[in-house]
Amino acid sequence: MKAINKEVLKDAASRLMFDMSEEQYDTLEKEFDIMIKQMKLIGEIPGVDEVEPMTFPFDVATDYLREDEVEETLSKDEVLKNAKDVVDGQIKLPKVVG
Amino acid sequence: MNFEAVIGIEIHVEMKTKSKMFSSAPVEFGAEPNTLVNPVDIAFPGTMPVVNKQAVINAIRVSNALHMSIDNELWFDRKNYFYADLPKGFQITQDKRPIGRNGYVTIKTESGEKKIEIERLHMEEDTCKQLHLSTYSLLDYNRAGTPLVEIVSRPNIRSGEEAMKYVEQIKSIVQYTDVSDGKMEEGSLRCDVNISLRPIGSDKFGTKVEIKNLNSLSNVEKAIEFEIIRQQQLLLAGIPVDQETRRFDETRKETVLMRKKTDAVDYKYFTEPNITPIRLSEGFIKNAIDTCPELASSKKERYMNVLSLSEYDADILLQDKDVSIYFDAATKFKANPKLLANWIMVDIAAYLNKNNMSITALKLSPEHLSDLVMLIEEGKISSKQAKEVFAQVVESDESPIEVANKLGLVQVSDEGAIRELVLEALNENPQSIEDYKNGKDRAVGFLVGQVMKKSHGKANPAMTSKMIVEELKKR
Repeated sequence: MKAINKEVLKDAASRLMFDMSEEQYDTLEKEFDIMIKQMKLIGEIPGVDEVEPMTFPFDVATDYLREDEVEETLSKDEVLKNAKDVVDGQIKLPKVVG
Repeated sequence: MNFEAVIGIEIHVEMKTKSKMFSSAPVEFGAEPNTLVNPVDIAFPGTMPVVNKQAVINAIRVSNALHMSIDNELWFDRKNYFYADLPKGFQITQDKRPIGRNGYVTIKTESGEKKIEIERLHMEEDTCKQLHLSTYSLLDYNRAGTPLVEIVSRPNIRSGEEAMKYVEQIKSIVQYTDVSDGKMEEGSLRCDVNISLRPIGSDKFGTKVEIKNLNSLSNVEKAIEFEIIRQQQLLLAGIPVDQETRRFDETRKETVLMRKKTDAVDYKYFTEPNITPIRLSEGFIKNAIDTCPELASSKKERYMNVLSLSEYDADILLQDKDVSIYFDAATKFKANPKLLANWIMVDIAAYLNKNNMSITALKLSPEHLSDLVMLIEEGKISSKQAKEVFAQVVESDESPIEVANKLGLVQVSDEGAIRELVLEALNENPQSIEDYKNGKDRAVGFLVGQVMKKSHGKANPAMTSKMIVEELKKR
């Protein structure tokens, strides 16, 4: 498994377009260290490789599908309520593509 | 060195369901911005996605039409990326288990038939619509959550022509199955092309370039033809092809650079935890397929084998789904299908063309078209007179029989009435009888003319002519 060091964390943060203080990176690095140690403990359990990974906490499947029917929508005012800037009933953003 | 093109195509199709993929907000084109939105679509906390049944039925129908194996369990995944068109910060799609796998379509090109293999078909939700203006962008969330199917071909397309035929087939399938409008110009069918070149005989892939924003079939062909030449010139000059995204510039008829691609984006896919796996019973899948509207390929077979149309005629009728629906409706009545097809392809097509109209807006009902054709078949009016009747009924959908009567066009086919006029004409023209006996067949034509004059053009010409010969032989 790839080692989680400060470099990896900084690269991940940069890809996700945010940054943190050095202190926060330190904390995060320590937390990862603890998590990885815990994972190692689990890894020591015999036969763990043969267990199928699960996505849901228990084996569950339904057969429910929603009928294709239209229900209520929000009013335009409600939709735009949290937007800082509105032009022509649309949310205004700084331009990010050329 | 000779190169061959390696082309794969991704097609996104907007479904025309009533509600969205995971919410019950309406799906509509061209509504006032941000009025077709519910809390799920803008990712309000605590909202949960619920899968639209019709969207699943549609995906099954298209998968079946593309000869794919259909998964009997639905799994969705999150595709994570951070961009303003995606309110949740991820798109719900199907990554690991697409509903359809391993299919194909058969296309017909100048050089014969070819199977284009299709890797996968999956369902996902559309993003919101962004309008980029000179200094800022605007967001309209009406489109956010619209159900999509994405169809991914394998890279075994080799030319612009093949690519165009492939997209044309997919378009026909989604239109005939009633899954989508399939309008490239409105964005309800969007296609991205991946293309690279390699020396003929090589089994390695070259660096691929993606072309986006192809909004018509002919642009698909033109963009690929341009791109093949561009890449070939680079390679022959020893310049490597860069991995990049380009778009087709319609006025310049060439592809232009949009952005260079650096390392591949990692979308950190993982199973959507808010949708548990959904089991699709055999009966559900079978029912979706059995109730699917008839595909163009099956209609074509029926037109040729049952209705005895030529392949050429069948292809023309099937170019537009609505035209084929009109034709199908007309054949439910009595008239001869071949004659109906002719009227639709010639007279109706010309009328629609002249008025810049779609056949769905045509006033003349399929039943009345059939009535009109029957008037000709039964010899009540001539083809020429039928055009006169058509000119009127096409605007009004009046009964063709009534219009023909009103215009005084209906031929007299009453044997007694015609015979009376024939005898009259013969008695008045002894010279013609003499001429006929001397072998001058022209006399018959002259006598038909006389009867026509007496009947004001209404006597059935075929019957008249036959009867004159009968009477002449008696004398």
